[in-house]
Amino acid sequence: MEKSSQVTLQPSPVLPRNPQELADALAAAATRNRTIALAGASSKHLMAGPVEPADVSLSTAAMTRVLQYEPRDLTISVEAGMRYADLDRLVAQNRQMIPLDPPFSETATVGGILASNTSGPRRRLYGTARDLVIGMKFATLEGKLVQSGGTVVKNVAGLDMGKIMIGSFGTLAAIAVVNFKLIPRPAAEASFLLPFDGLDQAIAARNRILKGQTPPIAIDLLNPLSSAQLGYKGHLLALRLAGNTVAIERCRRELAARDALVLEGKEEARFWKQVQEYTPHFLEKFSQGAVVRASCTLAQLKEVMSSFETAAIARAGSGICYAYFTRADAAVRWLTSATGRDWKAIIEFAPDDQRDRLDLWPAPGAELEMMKKIKQMFDPNGLLNRGRLFRHI
Amino acid sequence: MLPAKAKEKLAQLLGPRGYLDRPEDLILYEYDGSVDKARPDIVVFPRTTEDVVAIVRIAREFGVPIVGRGAGTGLSGGSIARAGGITVAFSRMNRILEIDLENERAVVQPGVVNLDVTLAVDGSGYFYAPDPSSQRACTIGGNVSENAGGPHTLAYGVTTNHVLGLEVVLPDGTVYTTGGKELDLPGYDLTGLLTGSEGTMVLVTKVTVRLMRKPELVKTILAIYDSDDDAGRTVAEITARAITPVAVEMLDGVMLKMVEQATHAGYPLDAAAVLLIELEGIREVVEEQVEQIREAAQSCGAREVRLAKSAEERELLWKGRKNAFGAIGRVSPTYYVQDGVVPRTKIVPTLRFIGEVSKKYGLIISNIFHAGDGNMHPIILFDTRKAGDLEKTIAAGEEILQYCIDAGGSITGEHGVGMEKNEMMGHLFSAETLDMMRRFKELFDPDNRMNPGKVLPTGKGCLEIRQPALGPGAATY
Ligand SMILES: Cc1cc2nc3c(=O)[nH]c(=O)nc-3n(C[C@H](O)[C@H](O)[C@H](O)COP(=O)(O)OP(=O)(O)OC[C@H]3O[C@@H](n4cnc5c(N)ncnc54)[C@H](O)[C@@H]3O)c2cc1C
Repeated sequence: MEKSSQVTLQPSPVLPRNPQELADALAAAATRNRTIALAGASSKHLMAGPVEPADVSLSTAAMTRVLQYEPRDLTISVEAGMRYADLDRLVAQNRQMIPLDPPFSETATVGGILASNTSGPRRRLYGTARDLVIGMKFATLEGKLVQSGGTVVKNVAGLDMGKIMIGSFGTLAAIAVVNFKLIPRPAAEASFLLPFDGLDQAIAARNRILKGQTPPIAIDLLNPLSSAQLGYKGHLLALRLAGNTVAIERCRRELAARDALVLEGKEEARFWKQVQEYTPHFLEKFSQGAVVRASCTLAQLKEVMSSFETAAIARAGSGICYAYFTRADAAVRWLTSATGRDWKAIIEFAPDDQRDRLDLWPAPGAELEMMKKIKQMFDPNGLLNRGRLFRHI
Repeated sequence: MLPAKAKEKLAQLLGPRGYLDRPEDLILYEYDGSVDKARPDIVVFPRTTEDVVAIVRIAREFGVPIVGRGAGTGLSGGSIARAGGITVAFSRMNRILEIDLENERAVVQPGVVNLDVTLAVDGSGYFYAPDPSSQRACTIGGNVSENAGGPHTLAYGVTTNHVLGLEVVLPDGTVYTTGGKELDLPGYDLTGLLTGSEGTMVLVTKVTVRLMRKPELVKTILAIYDSDDDAGRTVAEITARAITPVAVEMLDGVMLKMVEQATHAGYPLDAAAVLLIELEGIREVVEEQVEQIREAAQSCGAREVRLAKSAEERELLWKGRKNAFGAIGRVSPTYYVQDGVVPRTKIVPTLRFIGEVSKKYGLIISNIFHAGDGNMHPIILFDTRKAGDLEKTIAAGEEILQYCIDAGGSITGEHGVGMEKNEMMGHLFSAETLDMMRRFKELFDPDNRMNPGKVLPTGKGCLEIRQPALGPGAATY
C-alpha cells in the first residue's frame, strides 16, 4: 500500500511502553507547547481529517499488555495498543468474542478502533464500542491518567467520560487502557445470501426479516456494484444468524429462499471478512478514491442507497451506508446534494493529497460549539491531533 | 430563600397552577426514595422546552440552584434540593411525541413514565428494553439522568444503550440537540456523556429512544436452594457454560418470606435462596437453554428447578420481585438499600461477607439483586427508634461498599451516586479522575447551580437512611 505523505511528514513516533509513560510523553510535549500527532498502528491514517504536521509523534503500538482477564467474569482489560486481532484470538480460546468487526482488523489497535468508532456487520445485535466498552483509562495533556467506569459490567459511579473518547479521533486525550465486556460465542451460526433484481424487493425483504421471529445478528445490503466485487449478482441481502443447530435449521427454512446461498464455516467467515475489509481493499485499489458514510433511518435507507451510482454497502438493520467513489470530487458532489436533503453524511476516507482541502463534514449541528468547548477544556492550545476530527477540531 | 422578584417572574411565566410554594405543598417534594430531606423554595411545572428555558434564565438571573425531578423514585437522593432553590418537576412534560416503529424509535418528553413507552407500542411487537423495578412510576428523564438499569439489562444493556438522542437545556438557557434517530453521528458523543450525569449538568427536555422487537418465546425459571452459596455458584456456572439468560435475579431466605407474605407469588418460604431466571429469544434456543439452566442449577445443588407454566405464573413471580421494596416496608420501618457491584465470580464471597457484617452489627441484612451482572442490593433493616441503629447501619453499609471496591467492583450499578455515596467516590476514583469529572460539570454549569452537592465529594457527611418510598404496602410495583 502506498504510504501517505501526511504520515511520512510526521516525525518518527515515540512509543511509550505503559499508560504512565504515555501520560508523561503527552505532558512533556504539552508543557513545551509542542503539537502532537497521536495514533495506534496508523491503519486508518486516511480516515477523517489529516493531522496537521506535528512536532511530536506518539504511538500506543508498544502498549500491548493484557492487564486483567478472568474468562468467567466475561470481562477483559487491555492496553490500548493491543491489536484487535490478537485480542480477538485470545478471547476466542475461551469461546468468547468482542464482535466489533472493525475494518483493518489485522493491524488496527483497540485504542484506534475506539477513537475512530469503527464497527462492522454484527453491530445490529451487539452494538458498537459505546455498548461493549465498560471502562477506560485515558491520559491527558497534563500527564494525568483518568479513569472512567471500571471492570464490572454495570456501573454508574460518576460521569461516563469514556463515551466522549469513543469517536474523538484522539483529539482530546490518549486512550490508554480499555475494558470490554465479553460475549459467549454462539453454538452455531450460518449466513444466507439473498439476491434481488431490484432494490425495492431487497428492502421489502429486509423489512419482513426485521419484523420476523428470527432476528439476524447482521443484515447487510450490497448494491450490484459492490456485490459484483465479491463475485455475486444483483442487490444482495446478507444475513448472519446465530443460535444452536436446530434454530439455524429453522432459520434456513424460513429465511433462505430457493435461490439463496447458504454459507457456513470457512466460507461464511471469508464472506464476512470481505465485507468487513471492503474499505481497506477499496483504498488499496483506488489511491484517488473516497469513502462516504451516511447515517440514516431504516426508512431512508432505500432512498440513500438508490442515490449511489457507485459501489455501496449498507448496515441495513442499523441505517449506516458506505459508498465507494473512485474519485473524491464525485464524493463531494454526492455529499453536497445529500446535505441539501438533510441526510447526515461525511467523507470518511479521502486521498491524502486532497484531504486538507475537502469539506469532510459539511453539516455539523449547533452542538459542534459544545464539542469545541470540550476540546478547549482538554487541549486549550490545540496541540493534540489538530484537524483530525474531520477538520473541524 | 428565593428572591421575591424571582418568584414573581416564575409565577408570571407559569400561571397560578404552574408552581407550588406553600410549605404544606413543598413538603411533598423534599424527599425521594430516601429520607434524605431538603426543601426546595419553589416547585415549577413546565409544559414545554420554552418554559424550561425561561425558568432556567430566571434561575440564572437570580443565581438560584435548579434541581430536575421526575417521579422522585431515585434511591440516592438525586432529586433532593439539597441547597434549596427551584425544583423543576417534569410531570407535565409527559407526552410521547412520536412512535416511529418503522425506524424502531420513539421520541418522548422526560416526564413520560418508563412503562408507558412499552405500553404505547403494545400489540405492535416492540418494547422499550430498560426495565427498572420501579418502571410503573419512574420517568424516562429520571432514567436518563441516573442511567437506570433493571433485571433485563443483563442482556439488553442499561439506559445509555437505548438512548440515541437528547434535547437538553444548559443552566445558561442554551438548548442543544445531541444525537438523533440515526446512529454513529460524527463528533463527540454528548448523548453518552450526559446520560448518567444525574441532573448535575443539564436538564433533559426530550429523549429519542430505541425500540426493540419482542422475542418469540419467554421462559421463566425458579431455581430453589437450601444454601445461598449454591445459588451464587450457579450464577458463575451459567456464565462458564456460556448460557445467556436475559435476567438472573437472586432473592435470599429473609427476602422470600417478606415477598411471599406481601405478594403470594408462589415463592418457597423455607428456602435459603432462589434464582429467578429468564430466557428469551428464538424458540429452539430458549428451549435448549431451559435444559442447560436446569443442569447448571442442579450441578450446583439446587433443590428444585421450577419452570413457570403460564404467563400468569411468570407475571406473578416478577410482580413479587418488582414489589420487593414495598414488601420490606411491611416488615421494617426503615431500611437502607445498597447498589454495589462485584465481578460475577465474586458473588459467593460477597454474600458471605455481607453475612459477617450482619452478625458483627447485629442487623438483619437481606439480599435481592441483579445477580447475573453482579449488582448486589443488600438491604439493611433497622429501627430509627433504637439508639445506635442508624450509626451501625451506616457503618455496615460502608463496609459492604468498601468490600465491593476491593473486589474490583463499584459503589453503584444503577441507582447513582447522588448525595448518598458522593463522599465515597474518593475510595473508588483517584483525585485526577474526580477532578476531571468536576471540570466537565463546570464546563456545562460554571456557577454550580445544577443539582449542587451531588455525585462529587463535598467533604461533608450526610444522612444515609432509606425508608419505603411510598409508605408501607403502598407500592404497586
Ligand atoms: C421500588 C424501587 C425499585 C427500583 N428499582 C430500580 C431498578 O431496578 N433499576 C434502577 O436503575 N433503579 C431502580 N430504582 C431507582 C429509581 O427508580 C431510578 O433511579 C429512576 O431512574 C429514577 O427516576 P425518577 O423519574 O423517579 O427520577 P427522580 O428520582 O425524580 O430523579 C432522579 C435524578 O434524575 C434527575 N432528573 C430527573 N428528571 C430530570 C430531567 N428531565 N433532566 C435532568 N435531570 C433530571 C434528578 O435531578 C435526579 O438527580 C428503584 C426505585 C424504587 C423506589
